[in-house]
Amino acid sequence: MSHLHVPDGVLPVALWAPGLALALILLVLSARSLRRATAQHMAYRGALGALVLAAMAVQIPFGPLEYHLTLVGPVGVLLGPAAGYQVVFVASAMLAFVGHGGFTVIGLNGLVLGAGVALARPVYEWLARSRRPPAAMAAATAAGQAVSGALWLTIVVIALGARAGVEHPGGPPGRLGLLLGLAAPMWLIGVVVETVVAFGIARFLGRVRPDLLPRAGAGERDAAGGAA
Amino acid sequence: MINTLARIDFAASAGRTPWHRASALSKLILAAAVVGLAVFSPSLRLLVALHVLAWILALTSRMPARVVVLAAGYPLFFATLFVVMSWDGGWSSPLRMMLRPLTASLAAVWLVGTTPYPDLFAPLSRVLPRAVGDGLFLTYRALFDLIERTERLWRALRIRGGASAPVRKRLTLAGEGLATLVLYGFDRSQRLYATMLLRGHSGRICGCRHYAEMTRSDLLVALAGVVVAAAAVALWRTP
Repeated sequence: MSHLHVPDGVLPVALWAPGLALALILLVLSARSLRRATAQHMAYRGALGALVLAAMAVQIPFGPLEYHLTLVGPVGVLLGPAAGYQVVFVASAMLAFVGHGGFTVIGLNGLVLGAGVALARPVYEWLARSRRPPAAMAAATAAGQAVSGALWLTIVVIALGARAGVEHPGGPPGRLGLLLGLAAPMWLIGVVVETVVAFGIARFLGRVRPDLLPRAGAGERDAAGGAA
Repeated sequence: MINTLARIDFAASAGRTPWHRASALSKLILAAAVVGLAVFSPSLRLLVALHVLAWILALTSRMPARVVVLAAGYPLFFATLFVVMSWDGGWSSPLRMMLRPLTASLAAVWLVGTTPYPDLFAPLSRVLPRAVGDGLFLTYRALFDLIERTERLWRALRIRGGASAPVRKRLTLAGEGLATLVLYGFDRSQRLYATMLLRGHSGRICGCRHYAEMTRSDLLVALAGVVVAAAAVALWRTP
């Protein structure tokens, strides 16, 4: 549910404008923290950003529904919070150019995905001290995806509440129960799918190129690109 | 979604309409004006006028109608969800809620369908942090290569029975397949880095320098801008 990008004109300005400002501030801060990154690391970020977009094209059938991957967890683990945030911001911006999510809500869409990305690496590093990489990657992805989904749901609930308050002061609120009934199962499915896929990614990388996976407690400098 | 992006990218590079010949900067300004007015307009009539204009822009860009409908229709799902969640029994609020994202989406499709990506990203990279501006170019450049590989990978997984396995196995296999793409991306970044060094990379990807070069076709964009401004002035205070 976390990459169902919010389009323009649906959310109130009071919600998207601060979100955009915060996203841009975080973008500047992340750029500052990565100013010593090599061109190769930047190219690697570009490749993973493209992979995020390409993975969104993959449809995993679940009965009548189809799920689209986001790879929020693996990107966060492989690149770290700052670089990973830049990647998902760029992905959100590109999607906005084809109408998948609005221009005004690039900030919020970036923050929703960025929250998951930012959480994934610390969780991975903490778990990798005692667990094997696939399990640590899976748990980190589950945490990141859960947070992203929760943030998305929170934003939509706040927006619906605000709209109901503006249009019907003291009147009937939006149908939040219906929203939760629709969104919660999708959110859970998203967490499970992304977790198992992340497990597969880490299992393969652990066998073939373990140096691309960050070591426990290595920090952002050990992002995959820097391992080369 | 990505197939749509590929078709839009092709249309942007191969198109020969006056919109394609106009500068990226003027089109960006026009698209920003349409999106901004669509988001902030209190008037339903103005929204309808902007929506009609956005359709005219998109259809005169000679993009296949199916691509325009596919790209512009994406916000429909989310907007419908919002309408259902907060429907008050009237038609004015739902119509506003549907027209805003659809108009913005059509303007975006017109912009990207008539502007090659180096021209489109060049002005943006001037205002974004350097790493993010470069990220736009590098991500877009890697995208179509990875899409092709992703599609081949998925086809191979299906042919070899990957789609008939139990769900958990299927997802783990998908993850392992995606990990091969991570490896490919890493190798590709090394090759790209070497190429950048060979070409005298100075620490910044500059993109196209022609994004602000005005041509006669920009008069058409200016005319569209005048129509947008006139509609805004005339209809802003109407219901």
